Amino acid sequence: MKRKRHLALGLSLAFALTLLPGCSQGNAAGSDQIIIYSNADEEAVAAMENALDSNGYEGQYIFQTYGTSELGGKLMAEGTDLEADLVTMSTFYLQSAQTENNMFLPLEFEVNTLEEVPDYTAPITSQEGAIIVNTQLLEEEGLPMPTSLKDLADPVYEGQVAVTDIQSSSTAWLLIQALVDAYGEEEAEQVLAAIYENAGAHIETSGSGPLKLCRAGEVAIGFGLRHQAVADKAEGLPIDYVDPQEGNFSLTESVAVVDKGEETKDLAMEMAQCIIDNAREELIQTYPNPLYEGETADPQNQSAYPKTFAEPLTFELFQQHQALSERAKG
Amino acid sequence: MRRKNWELKLIFAAIIALFAVFLAGPILVLFGKSVWDGGLTGEFYLSVTRQKGFLTALGHSFAVAAAAAVIAVAIAFLMAYAVHYTGLPRWVKRLITAIATLPMFLPTITYGFAIIYSFGKQGLLTRLLGRQFFDIYGFGGLLVGYVIYTIPVAFLLIHNTMGFVDKKMLVVSKVMGDGHLGTFWIAVLRPLLGTLAGAFIQAFFLCFTDFGIPASVGGGYEVIATLLYNQMLGGIPDFNRGAVIAMIMLIPSIGSICLLQLLERFNIRYNRISQAELRKNPLRDGCWGAASAVTSLGILSIFAVIFVVPLVEEWPYQTGFSLEHFQAVFADRELITVYGHSLAMALLTALLGTLAAYGAALITARSTLGKGYKRTIESIALVTNAIPGMVLGVAYLFLFSGTSLQNTLLLMILCNIVHYFSTPYLMMKNALSKMNAGWETTAMLMGDSWIKTILRVVTPNALSSLIEVFSYYFINSMVTISALIFIAGARTMVLTTMIKQLQYVNRFNEVFVLSLLILATNLLAKAVFSWLANRQAARIRDNRPEKEKAKKRKELQV
Repeated sequence: MKRKRHLALGLSLAFALTLLPGCSQGNAAGSDQIIIYSNADEEAVAAMENALDSNGYEGQYIFQTYGTSELGGKLMAEGTDLEADLVTMSTFYLQSAQTENNMFLPLEFEVNTLEEVPDYTAPITSQEGAIIVNTQLLEEEGLPMPTSLKDLADPVYEGQVAVTDIQSSSTAWLLIQALVDAYGEEEAEQVLAAIYENAGAHIETSGSGPLKLCRAGEVAIGFGLRHQAVADKAEGLPIDYVDPQEGNFSLTESVAVVDKGEETKDLAMEMAQCIIDNAREELIQTYPNPLYEGETADPQNQSAYPKTFAEPLTFELFQQHQALSERAKG
Repeated sequence: MRRKNWELKLIFAAIIALFAVFLAGPILVLFGKSVWDGGLTGEFYLSVTRQKGFLTALGHSFAVAAAAAVIAVAIAFLMAYAVHYTGLPRWVKRLITAIATLPMFLPTITYGFAIIYSFGKQGLLTRLLGRQFFDIYGFGGLLVGYVIYTIPVAFLLIHNTMGFVDKKMLVVSKVMGDGHLGTFWIAVLRPLLGTLAGAFIQAFFLCFTDFGIPASVGGGYEVIATLLYNQMLGGIPDFNRGAVIAMIMLIPSIGSICLLQLLERFNIRYNRISQAELRKNPLRDGCWGAASAVTSLGILSIFAVIFVVPLVEEWPYQTGFSLEHFQAVFADRELITVYGHSLAMALLTALLGTLAAYGAALITARSTLGKGYKRTIESIALVTNAIPGMVLGVAYLFLFSGTSLQNTLLLMILCNIVHYFSTPYLMMKNALSKMNAGWETTAMLMGDSWIKTILRVVTPNALSSLIEVFSYYFINSMVTISALIFIAGARTMVLTTMIKQLQYVNRFNEVFVLSLLILATNLLAKAVFSWLANRQAARIRDNRPEKEKAKKRKELQV
């Protein structure tokens, strides 16, 4: 009997102990910290944190990063019930979340962008696509260095190419935009079909999939985000990047403030402004495209053929290009 | 025998309430999404089933999940048999048990990368052995991943039941003049049939619903989980069509409910479990030993890479030894908080989950409640088994957003209890149904109340199973990710969601380091739980001789 009492005591003690952090959790939830959800890469998050910290907001916010698709899912499903006060996310996602849920507030500060943007967004980065190569593997396999995206359709690269699937990742859109822009929809579809043929199993779901495969030595060539390849090369990995002749197309990520009705915190808007006013200087080091009036980029980091798609990048265009990609899969 | 069974009905009500809110509710919301678009519509179902590649993907899912489940159950049976029916030394048996359950101590996100970094073109095994064995992208890679993923569950179920099979059956069968195969059938396979089928179904659904492995090694071999992911969270999420796929994924579970009902009759009760002295047979021991060694090595070799990659500068091109990645991870201030969340969540899930599984198993295995009650519980267990974590997570998003439960540790705990309910419940049910069915009646005749009987007789005898269930819940809560990624908030981050974040920014070395941290925690927890279970078993053993001695003394005095 004694044993049982000990056991019961032990169990309830364990229970009480485990509950403790749970309770402190509950209290913390009521605090005034601003929660920022972001799909940005670590360089961008670091730049934004530096800007906030050096302007007196240190300890007043929590950054939580997600993959693009997870954050997209949360925005669509939760709307204004989102835990976050502030979001940074691919701009066209923010647009479709706004259409769907009407969940963002118009920004209360001036946004002097080079191109017109919706009044509830202010761009933080512009990310470019480029061809990524594993130089060591390319040499071992005796393959020529590609110079254009069309080159990737050449059968010599069979089994050595990795791309992303536009069904699941917006990085693939940079590839498809370039092809459609250079060759028109019809030919773009043919080129894409031949690239998919070469990629075989390596039509990846995640935008960073091709770079991972290049790094692991699984394929010699991939298509992905330029700045990630730049970073890998700088770290001394056998990774290099090629700016495709069709152009380095780009997608922007923006900041937006969630409309929480009466519970909206003024601090969220202040922090959004702080990020735009103060983080750009550091951001442009990694993401070299100028976005605001008066910005100039470091030519060393600049891509060879920066280009923008003729039509505005809307959700509808995205779906249209998804359909094109599905047809190319055959 | 007329009893009101009010205690059991109370437990039943509590369990129903739990699953009504946290399982039926979310599923209904999903069902609603799949048929509602401003009005009732079948359009989403039509467009999904007509969608190109849908049926192929469904076929792939069935094929690869079934193949993986058969192999996993066969391997698990082999290893469990070596533990229970051979004269191998104790430490070997312990080692086999440890290795068979090793994969469950690691999050599945790491599996895919472990396979790429082992069997890929530049993989550890490929380099060591000089050539690539099979194409890791597609069926082959999926099969390897799934088999490893499901061996622990299959092994635990079989191992558990084998412990309750009367080994004297072997002797009896031999005495009756059965041949080797005859004995094997009567004394080993026949009593295990129900469990083997249960293990197969468990393994099948784990594979059928898993997303992590196909995401990394699926290649062009599309399975239904990938389709679901693309619809739910693709470039632009389409929740209606995603909900349709999720609903379709639930259909196979209805088939398995019927199947398991059929198998119920194969469960055999023994009045007493005795450990017969196994005959010395070096040949048998040698063969099983060798077979187990080969499978164990296979499992270990795949995970070796997790230890190697973070300890070198940059696999595969800079292979000098380096602790840099470990330092980078442990320098993070946030880690302690996140680790605390993980531990709190795992402990509470284990405690409450074990209670739920025990209560449910008492109803189905040891009560006189009507068939309707038992069927309900069985169905709950099967549905929890078949519902993908990702679907549960998204459904929770819809249902609990805006409520005070949103982003709380409590919601995460409840989600884990529901998500992992099936295996603990089956383990508990197996253990309880193997116990003598007469205990409650006997105890009642002696005037004990039901609760007293459960506490005094059933619980002590089920304690080792209870501890196993506790550790199952604990370990799974430590490694789970699929549902949590949607419901964990910024203030309730856990280790696995942190891994996912690192994965997005391509920091695999750190991913592997955190995986090792989870592994270490789980191994430690497992050691503590085993120690507790053994101590308990030892106490029961120690008490017995005392009583027997006393009895003998009395007899002598008389």
